[in-house]
Amino acid sequence: MLSASKHEESRTHPGRSVLVMKLVAAAVALGLVLAFPALAPDPFILSVGVVIASYAALAVAWNFVGGLTGYISLGHAAYSGLGGYGTALLITEAGVNPWVSMVVAAVLVGLAAVPIGIASLRVRGASFVIVSIALVLILLLVAQSWADVTGGSNGLRVPRPFGTDVLRPEQHERFFYLFVALTLVALVLWWVIDRSRLGTGLKAIREDEDKAQALGVPTFAYKLVVFVVSAFMTAMAGGMYALWFGSLDPIFQFSILTGSYLVLMSLLGGVRSLLGPVVGAVIVGYAVEFFKNQYGDTQLHLVALGLLLALVVLFMPDGVIPWLTAQFDRFRPGDTSIREVDAAQLAEERKALEEAKS
Amino acid sequence: MTDLNKHSLETEGLTKAFGGVRAVDDATVSFQEGKINALIGPNGSGKTTFFNCVTGMIRPDSGTVTYQGRNVTGHAPHRIARAGLGRSFQLCRIFPRMTVLDNVLAGVRSKGLVHRLRGAHNPDDIARARELLARVGIEHLERSEARDISYGQQKLLELAGVLMAEPDTIMLDEPAGGVNPALIGRIATLVRELNAEGRTFVIVEHNMELVMSLSDHVVVFDRGRPIASGAPAEVQNDPRVLEAYLGV
Repeated sequence: MLSASKHEESRTHPGRSVLVMKLVAAAVALGLVLAFPALAPDPFILSVGVVIASYAALAVAWNFVGGLTGYISLGHAAYSGLGGYGTALLITEAGVNPWVSMVVAAVLVGLAAVPIGIASLRVRGASFVIVSIALVLILLLVAQSWADVTGGSNGLRVPRPFGTDVLRPEQHERFFYLFVALTLVALVLWWVIDRSRLGTGLKAIREDEDKAQALGVPTFAYKLVVFVVSAFMTAMAGGMYALWFGSLDPIFQFSILTGSYLVLMSLLGGVRSLLGPVVGAVIVGYAVEFFKNQYGDTQLHLVALGLLLALVVLFMPDGVIPWLTAQFDRFRPGDTSIREVDAAQLAEERKALEEAKS
Repeated sequence: MTDLNKHSLETEGLTKAFGGVRAVDDATVSFQEGKINALIGPNGSGKTTFFNCVTGMIRPDSGTVTYQGRNVTGHAPHRIARAGLGRSFQLCRIFPRMTVLDNVLAGVRSKGLVHRLRGAHNPDDIARARELLARVGIEHLERSEARDISYGQQKLLELAGVLMAEPDTIMLDEPAGGVNPALIGRIATLVRELNAEGRTFVIVEHNMELVMSLSDHVVVFDRGRPIASGAPAEVQNDPRVLEAYLGV
């Protein structure tokens, strides 16, 4: 009996060595990320790094809803776009400090997400996807038509937060670190929710919403909480992007393509894992920039991305991280459904069985 | 002994129609508190729809549901669950891609944001979940994904999850459906034990042997309404029941 309970202990707590390995790997990865600006050979590569870091922040923000509840939103560009325009307008129209503008805009988007969530989280599955697309299309039309405020298709210029004496490469470097910091904040928040009781309730919703509710999970409130958190974090990333890029055009800000990229990144990396969206953002972000560079102004980069998605769905339906974990686990002992016992234990069990019979 | 006439769960004139079909038709039923109540009836007699109306999964067209003196008609399912009314589903519903342990932890009761941000794998919750898994006899599977365990084990897991939510009354929809005889015996024993601890049961079941041996009080449904109720032996010989079942 004693040995059985010991066995149980070692099964429930992953070995300390695994934890240490994970921490070391995370430290190395973070070190490489932080060293990237110093290693980047030229400002163009550095700017690609900034784009990828911004995608990482957006994808993790998306994953609050997509990963935890299983509600797939194709329209998350709505929140990044609103965050961007909100930031820009607060600076230009109200003269607010750029960084304060970014946070205030994100808070406003979070507040706006409450009624949007109440309306759209009532429908599930494909219907939710369509509602999310509808929202971003509406915002695109509004932003294009309301030229007095948004500048319409002529775009809206956003003043640089660091002033004109900070040169381009220096700007890229600072924004790279800012996006990495934002991504880290989003990751910590996601981790806290994921491991909490709230997170277990959310995952239950993802698996079987009616059953979760029958168990007492207030499903609607739970979904709304992560929906608002997701919109807030997405708007933060959108605002930061506006400050970095310096100009906004509705067609790029409220783009279904951006929303689709976020879904692709998260699916590719693995929506159930903390770092899945980050890994996906690095792969997809790099691929997007690479294909754009290769195929120039044609739309071939979209074809290439479509192929990438098809390959992932075919061979790694759960994403890269779960696939890698599975490969790793194959070479690890233990964790089978067959319980290993030695001869002494077997004899003991037989004896107990005999006693129970008689 | 509990007062025989004490009713914790009652419905009055409960009605639910799908198109022209009145699945539940003006059903006035009361279940005895602290007892094992059975709800039987031919296929299509409205038992599951009745369950769904009572637990808030379906909003009834008319009528009321009263639980422990409170009118809970049309309340959201999670509110009814938190009021102490737990349920299982006819075709056993679990969370397939969560571990067995997490399946049970999903049933934990918590209040307010601070409580809910507490780690799901905290020692208190884990200890309770393991206790319940041990109680239904599948504690050795806690790390398996729920989709990987057998159907019978999934049924036991569902029961453990329901128990985690600390219900006073448990409604089981066909607990013996699709499971082997040995397991039926185990489920029956569990129900008896849990009942002895003071939990009320309402069980929909087609296995008559089990119903007659397990229950204190039987309600017979036909065409969406109760046609008879009483002790198992009484109901068994009721001509209306025989007619409903055999069409005599």
